[in-house]
Amino acid sequence: MRALVVEDEPLLNEELEEHLLEEQFSVDCAETLQQGRNLVAGDEYDLVLLDLGLPDGNGLELLKMIKKYYEETAVVILTARGEVEDKVEGLELGSDDYLAKPFAMAELRARIHAVLRRRFKIDENEIKAGKLLLNLNHMEVGYDGRRLELTETEYKILRYLLLNKNKTITRIALAEHIWGSKVDDRFSLDFINSHMKNLRKKLSQAGAPELIETIYGVGYKLEVHEAQQ
Amino acid sequence: MKLNNKILLSNLVLSVVIFLITSIGMYYLVNDTVYDELDNHLLQHKIDLMNQVEGDPASVKQIQKLGGLGSYEWVDMYPYEGEVKLNVNNFATVDTVRNPGEVGPEAYRRLATTISVNDRYYTVKIYEEVAAWQNISMTILVSVLAALLIWILLLYLLNQMVFDRILTPFYDTVDNLETISDPTDFDERFSDSSTYEIKVLNDALNTMMSQLRSSFEDQKKFIQNASHELLTPLSIIRQKAEKILSNSDKCDQPTLKAASEIQHTAVRLSRLSNALLLISRVENKQYELDEQVNVAAVTDDVLEELDDFISLKNITIEKDFENEIAVEGNKELIQSAIYNIVQNAVKFSPEKSTLHIRTNGEAEDGEFMVIDEGPGIPEELKESLFDRFKKGQGSSAELAQNNGTGLGLSLVKSICKLHGFGYRAENNNGAGAKITLHF
Repeated sequence: MRALVVEDEPLLNEELEEHLLEEQFSVDCAETLQQGRNLVAGDEYDLVLLDLGLPDGNGLELLKMIKKYYEETAVVILTARGEVEDKVEGLELGSDDYLAKPFAMAELRARIHAVLRRRFKIDENEIKAGKLLLNLNHMEVGYDGRRLELTETEYKILRYLLLNKNKTITRIALAEHIWGSKVDDRFSLDFINSHMKNLRKKLSQAGAPELIETIYGVGYKLEVHEAQQ
Repeated sequence: MKLNNKILLSNLVLSVVIFLITSIGMYYLVNDTVYDELDNHLLQHKIDLMNQVEGDPASVKQIQKLGGLGSYEWVDMYPYEGEVKLNVNNFATVDTVRNPGEVGPEAYRRLATTISVNDRYYTVKIYEEVAAWQNISMTILVSVLAALLIWILLLYLLNQMVFDRILTPFYDTVDNLETISDPTDFDERFSDSSTYEIKVLNDALNTMMSQLRSSFEDQKKFIQNASHELLTPLSIIRQKAEKILSNSDKCDQPTLKAASEIQHTAVRLSRLSNALLLISRVENKQYELDEQVNVAAVTDDVLEELDDFISLKNITIEKDFENEIAVEGNKELIQSAIYNIVQNAVKFSPEKSTLHIRTNGEAEDGEFMVIDEGPGIPEELKESLFDRFKKGQGSSAELAQNNGTGLGLSLVKSICKLHGFGYRAENNNGAGAKITLHF
């Protein structure tokens, strides 16, 4: 899959590139609207990560151009401008998702996964980790053929960890994923703990080993070893 | 008292004083003139009398006889008895009765003098009625004074008109000043004027207003730019920290802890920046306020969003929505305000407590109340609860810790101010806090 990163801040651009390379994309980068135009004119991309506040113009211009020529391209807007009008306009112009800076890479990964699944109608409805099976269409989780009764929040936590398997997910990123960034962080982190406790209990009742590892003071990690897959 | 009324009143008082002085002066002047004229007449009579008796000394008897009867001249003539000095004219005004049939005494001007006929001295008293003359003089006096009075009144009215006209630009300025509540609201300039003082005043006001406006705007722009410009670097800090964290097995515990703290701080900083941006946008009035917002529906949305926390804390929500309250405003902002209030209440509610959410009154005059059973509002925070960055300063370190950005309630305040809602925080009979919005 081909991806284009349009972001004027070099460090962030680099970070995004690295991240996408890790996800097996082949990546092009642009730091200005003009560079972005040139690249888009030359090639068709599957995914574009688009910053709106570019030094030589509004990223929405590029979005219009992309949508005019390549309807299939998935576009995720990244912006520091927390303005609702931007979000509405972007979505109206055909962007697939919208992430306000600063975001967690894990969140971006989950969003990209969802966007690509939606856009390219990927049939891969299930995420597997050993005997753990998560159905994305029906919000169902099973272990070794037995169904787990999870609450919506617990399902979201598990899905997030699975989408970011083998990566440490910080509790803040997890809280943001579930409740958005409006909620107070100090306040919500305690709740992550209690949800996680419940989730672990349910997993162990289903006979699953300790899948979710706690990284002390940081967050959680769902370790999936190659041998298990 | 208005300036023009003050000027008009002082003018009027001054005019009346001058009028009174003029009246008194006029009265004496006219009287004086009248008596002078009378005296001249009397003297003329005397000369006539002297001429007559000189030509015909016998006519003295006739004069004595007829003098008292004359319709107009009343002459008393009798031999000199020394009651007046010889050859001196004595004028006096006397009230006397000429004919016994008259009702009362009348004012007469009397010339008492002596004349000599054939070396015999006679005392002569010539009387002339004052009344007739005084009538004329009074008529003159009254008409002059009346004219003066009319002139004063006319001047008053004219002054009023002219002052009104001259002071119109001044009062325009004053009216404008009275209606301004927020310098950014006021777009027009104070108009130019041909009056020097008003021109100076308006110019000064214009300069001050534009300075105020631009500093106001600068401040808002600064907050916005700062928020924008801060978020991108914060984004990088956060991502770099998370990169370290995501490869946790390669790092030792202290590194992880440090990275986690960096991430946490970056997140808090970005929340703070976002909250400031939102507040500045609200204060900058960048939101349309023309939606009909159903308070009950918005509250339900908020409760759903916070459901996780409510159920994990085993908090019972008791909703008591007396009437459907619909207010005009911005749905996003009102939802945000209610979200912050309810979240705060949930945050400070102990486990297994009850949270009351109530509405009172009609749509025009509705109230929205959230009452928790938490520790309540500390005394020292009561005044500054809704102010920016004031919360938890000093003593209540624990409060500050639980606070996140501490901007939640100041956002509520900005949103309420924008919509013209009232807001109030108080302790609910010693148990828990009560936050009220008054639509």
